[in-house]
Amino acid sequence: MTVQPLLPVAIDVLGGDHAPAAILDGARQAAAAGIPVLLVGRAADLEGHDLGGLELIDCSQVIEMDEDGARAVRTKKDSTLVRAAEAVRDGRASAFLSAGNTGATMASALLRMGRIKGVARPAIATPIPVPGSTPTVLLDAGANAECTAAFLVQFAQMGSVYARRRFGIDRPRVGLLSIGEEDGKGNLLAKETNELLRAGAAGPDVNFVGNVEGRDIMSADIDVVVTDGFTGNVVLKTLEGGMKFFAGKVFEALVATPEAKEAAKVLLPQLLPLAEALDPSTYGGAMLLGVDGVAIISHGSSNAIAILNAARVARDMAQDDLVGALRAAIASAPPVVAPAGESAG
Amino acid sequence: MSLDRPAVLALVRDRLADILEIEPSSIAEGASFTDDLDADSLALIELVEALEEEVGKHSPGFHIDDEDLQDLKTVRDAVDYVTAKL
Repeated sequence: MTVQPLLPVAIDVLGGDHAPAAILDGARQAAAAGIPVLLVGRAADLEGHDLGGLELIDCSQVIEMDEDGARAVRTKKDSTLVRAAEAVRDGRASAFLSAGNTGATMASALLRMGRIKGVARPAIATPIPVPGSTPTVLLDAGANAECTAAFLVQFAQMGSVYARRRFGIDRPRVGLLSIGEEDGKGNLLAKETNELLRAGAAGPDVNFVGNVEGRDIMSADIDVVVTDGFTGNVVLKTLEGGMKFFAGKVFEALVATPEAKEAAKVLLPQLLPLAEALDPSTYGGAMLLGVDGVAIISHGSSNAIAILNAARVARDMAQDDLVGALRAAIASAPPVVAPAGESAG
Repeated sequence: MSLDRPAVLALVRDRLADILEIEPSSIAEGASFTDDLDADSLALIELVEALEEEVGKHSPGFHIDDEDLQDLKTVRDAVDYVTAKL
């Protein structure tokens, strides 16, 4: 059997706070690491930058960070994001990644690559670092502000597949984010979702272990946490802000006095690996699950390492046929019957 | 073959059902996209793009103006709008 060479990962080099320099740096590092890369950018903006001899899809437009995603995708058909998603659709790339406008990345992926048959709403799956353990997959981290219980059941299915494929967890433990571990706790959405998941609505491949609270997300006791996109995004940003603040204060304290500086010589070798484990760039970005292709949403502040890691994840997930696994899981899942008073969407 | 109003209604129902993963028969003509069908803005853009592609086969150059989208609140609004532009 002939092994087909993997198609390149399309990288939007004009998306992100540090574009294009940091993105190009990451792209060159990815290429040097053996990951095939296809750049997507506007040549005029890249003059004087080192493209590392990589192929460039030259576009005439860029979607800015503050633009409405769906609208921008319709009006800027020759933008880097749209062309990157089209590269996947047209078989020129195996995956695409961007650190640009999240809404536009999602809209580009959905409108150009399409969605997996049976998926009601694609969701953003973000790995939350858990030092000493595999990360916890949080979804939805911001794609769908309004969700029904049926959507969340599907997020549980997709999150399980992702945790299995990405982190090698044989039977991921799935929790539903709520304000108490007891089944009856939470708002209407949480109660309805809990009822469905307890009744096995997600199918036998989803190992639902019950409700979890926010404090459980960074524990080794859970692998996938399911919630609506509004709550998920608030959780994600709260964790990011809290960890950044805490880390800043710790390092500030370590240089505050001569005694502290002495202590830092002992403590820093222990603290730096922890800081690295908690750094979002370690995991490269979030995966958009439910679209018909591999699409990675990298953090807006992505540096070269984050882009390198995102390209690695994109390559691995394309090679491992994550989309095929999601398609099979959704196709074999039982139809969700919504509890009384709730629409299955 | 040109599209008449019943054909446009069937097309809207069909595409919307596909996008929202629901039965076409459950989509009433008077249904509100957001209140009754839980369609978000992205789903509506998906519908618009699908309609432009399908209707464009019968009526080349068919286009839905973005500024008109805010007036399309129900399935009936969309069907009337498309029919009027044919």
